[in-house]
Amino acid sequence: MSNAVTATADKPEPNFLEVTRGWKSWATTLDHKRIGIMYLVGILTALMLGGFFALVVRTELFFPGKTIVNQLWYNRAFTLHGAVMVFLVIVPGIPAALGNMILPIQLGAPDVAFPKLNLASFYLWCVGAACMLTSIAMGAIDTGWTFYTPYSLTTTAAVIPAVLGVFILGFSSIFTGLNFLVTVHKFRPQGMGWFQMPLNLWALYSTAVIQVLATPVLAITVLLLFVEHFMHIGIFDPNMGGDPVLFQHFFWFYSHPAVYIMIIPAMGVISELVSTFSRKHIFGYRFIAYSSISLALLSFLVWGHHLFVSGQSKLATMVFSALTFTVAIPSAIKVFNWVATLYKGDIRLETPMLYALSFILLFTIGGLTGLFLGILAIDVHLHDTYFVVAHFHYVMMGSTLVAFLGGLHYWWPKIIGKMYPEKLGQLCAIGVFVGFNLTFLPQFVMGARGMPRRYWDYDPEFTIFHQLSTIGAYILGISMFTQVVYFAISAKRGPKAPQNPWGATTLEWVAPTPPTLYNFPSPPEIPELYDYDDLVEDPEHGGFIRKPSTGPKKGGH
Amino acid sequence: MSEAEHEHSHDDDHGHGHHGSPWIQHHYDDARHQFDAGKLGIWFFLVQEVLFFSGLFVMYILYRAHHGEIYEYAHHYLAVKWGAINTGVLIASSLSAAWAVRCAQLNQRKGLILCIVITIVCAFGFLSIKYIEYSHKFHMGELWGKRFDPCATPNETPLLTKMKKCEGHVSSVVWDPNGGPDAIGGPKAGCLEKGDYDRDPKTPGIQAQCTVDEVQYADESRKSEKGRKELEACEMEKEANGEAHAKNAPCYILQINHNVCPAGPGAIEILKNESEERGNEWGVDVECNKAPAPVAAADPFAEAHEPVVLGSKLVAPPHVVTDEEEVEELESRPPPPHTNMFFSIYFAMTGLHGLHVLFGIFVFVWLLIRSIKGHFSEDYFGPVDYSALYWHLVDLIWIFLFPLLYLIH
Repeated sequence: MSNAVTATADKPEPNFLEVTRGWKSWATTLDHKRIGIMYLVGILTALMLGGFFALVVRTELFFPGKTIVNQLWYNRAFTLHGAVMVFLVIVPGIPAALGNMILPIQLGAPDVAFPKLNLASFYLWCVGAACMLTSIAMGAIDTGWTFYTPYSLTTTAAVIPAVLGVFILGFSSIFTGLNFLVTVHKFRPQGMGWFQMPLNLWALYSTAVIQVLATPVLAITVLLLFVEHFMHIGIFDPNMGGDPVLFQHFFWFYSHPAVYIMIIPAMGVISELVSTFSRKHIFGYRFIAYSSISLALLSFLVWGHHLFVSGQSKLATMVFSALTFTVAIPSAIKVFNWVATLYKGDIRLETPMLYALSFILLFTIGGLTGLFLGILAIDVHLHDTYFVVAHFHYVMMGSTLVAFLGGLHYWWPKIIGKMYPEKLGQLCAIGVFVGFNLTFLPQFVMGARGMPRRYWDYDPEFTIFHQLSTIGAYILGISMFTQVVYFAISAKRGPKAPQNPWGATTLEWVAPTPPTLYNFPSPPEIPELYDYDDLVEDPEHGGFIRKPSTGPKKGGH
Repeated sequence: MSEAEHEHSHDDDHGHGHHGSPWIQHHYDDARHQFDAGKLGIWFFLVQEVLFFSGLFVMYILYRAHHGEIYEYAHHYLAVKWGAINTGVLIASSLSAAWAVRCAQLNQRKGLILCIVITIVCAFGFLSIKYIEYSHKFHMGELWGKRFDPCATPNETPLLTKMKKCEGHVSSVVWDPNGGPDAIGGPKAGCLEKGDYDRDPKTPGIQAQCTVDEVQYADESRKSEKGRKELEACEMEKEANGEAHAKNAPCYILQINHNVCPAGPGAIEILKNESEERGNEWGVDVECNKAPAPVAAADPFAEAHEPVVLGSKLVAPPHVVTDEEEVEELESRPPPPHTNMFFSIYFAMTGLHGLHVLFGIFVFVWLLIRSIKGHFSEDYFGPVDYSALYWHLVDLIWIFLFPLLYLIH
């Protein structure tokens, strides 16, 4: 370690942002926090790109017929919106960006288990993103983000770089997951058993399990698609005896668990936020922890519900339908526990909490509409309509992205050491909530009335819903963009953040703000998890401090 | 393993220099901690690898379940001998890889270097043999998907050539199941004498050549009205000839499948196979009618048409096919539809495996360099251990691939 520093007794250790300088020190850093920040920058850039494509789609749909782009570019815009948002933003969003920043500190560890692999994951992400951009430059893709065969084999669009990008991004995700698994197993300090871990770690751990188990299947699928394009091996090509439905099975065997790669870490973040901002011990800790694991396992058993109308056997559809409903159980357990945590809590409506409350509401809508789609008869009616679009946006955007924003506001002061503007943050959080619902609630109505997804044109009766949806999308877009701007400004000019601005109990709030290179100058004492009694507001510096200890702690060390 | 509480203390100032091996990274407590983390990591990586390959295995199982006949037909074209040798080579390399770990643990530097060299040599040996197999298949056109073209080499007789469309080649059989039943020409009737089929098969105008399978010797139960007449004619001739034919030689009806000639056969030539062992095998030259039926997209699942009766022939009872002749027998059968899928799967699975072997070579060369520099000792042998584990997995995948592709009938 060339950039290792030695603490001297008289001078406090410099924080990780100051310990070395220059772009080279960032490009070659092995520090998980810096890698997390680089991920964050990349992901926010991709978020704006994906958001731009979303606005192109929504603007085009403002009137029936052509508004701004033709059919071909409309197809490309919604494909790019989906591919960029899924593969570049939501999948890596919470685990790679927030997880990288926070996971080792929450464990009291100096770094992740394999820092070099961590940096390699980041560069793989960059290469994958570059492949996606290449695809856009070569004329973009019009297959939808799912790359269904046989169309993806016959289209003249630039499928090859996009598929290669997905393959590389997949390995970035696998290596991140692998790193987190080993870190959680091998770096828990003495006194932190599995059930003394913050729930965020349980969620990240469950996510990592899915990342390691499911993503390779996507990798082999897109690799075969890639080879198909180059060598025409025919595995998915019915003209040569191949099976295009096999592609759908393989694709969803990954991509359904991938939905849980997106949502489980979001649930972890929310578990932290709800407890902290209710000043109350999380209700049903073990149930939330177990439900993360059971969601991770159940996620592997339900991929067939994407193929109800794809020629799957009747028996298989019934089995998958039944299994799909079981997912509701762990999801509901979490929601009930969060609501029970709020009950009689001392609720503080700071920005992260606004996002957490939004999450609970939006996730409930997203989850319950999922039950509609799991019912076979109703699914035949709703399949490939705007109902499905609205449903998965409620889960992927309304839940995951909202939790990502909540987590970002929550941990931003810790990592960057600066506060964001609170009032503006609250305003934007409300903007996101209102804009989001305005965008997607009308889509439920449209879908139930038969508006098919991915259509460039529509009957005039749907006009009002599309227009409401587009207006909502702009409110959403403005709220998001404002946040990116104020985060960038606050990193430069924001007021200095206290060590524990929210009075949270997990280990990262014991670390200095911003943390030192190896997170803790000396091994931290593990505080009692979700016990807010000892934390009092500090009028001098803002934030919270721990009351002078009165007697021994109850912790297990 | 997963539940094991890792007991490590934070008493020492992590990251600020370790005593002992210089290879302990700053954020680990000690060599043991680093080794355990690495070991867990490589196991997760191997799990990932298994799932990576699982897609291919699922693909294999699925196509096997749906189109078993393809595998039954095509697995004969893989060289079991080379596959078996390669299995031995890989197992030997796995042994040397495992031995390398032991050498590292016992501080035996020379042994370590030797074992790594043996592993690398075996890996190269594996790839060389794979190269021999692949190049043979490239030569014969036994390739994946659209590249599947066993007629790539006109001067040789590739195994699959005889029944496949090979324009300009000795055997030209157009597989078109859509030849209409009405487009029957005048099939040649009566018993055919030797002189009738003593003819150069390359004569222009011959558009179809068939062996016994397309021109069937219909058995008694399948004969049509025309066939019955033919049979009667044949029996009469048999009596008239008297000694010319063996007494017990049955009269068979010669029939031709429609898919040989789309517009029906024009003229028929019977060829006798010169082979001593299979003296009862007959070939037929069929000159097809000029007007071909419109060629629709081939539908392999369409039901076969009733065969057209060509004539009858006195032949010896069918030869019992022995194991040695199984491959030869295949030559006289048309490949099942989409035989190319077998080669797609074969190349996809062995190709990806081969890439893993190639990657393994890079890993072991890296190990070799480090072991020559003397980096490994009883305190630090993690990379050797992890690489050997990876190598065992690559070996294990081959242990599955070999029987699945080469051996199972």
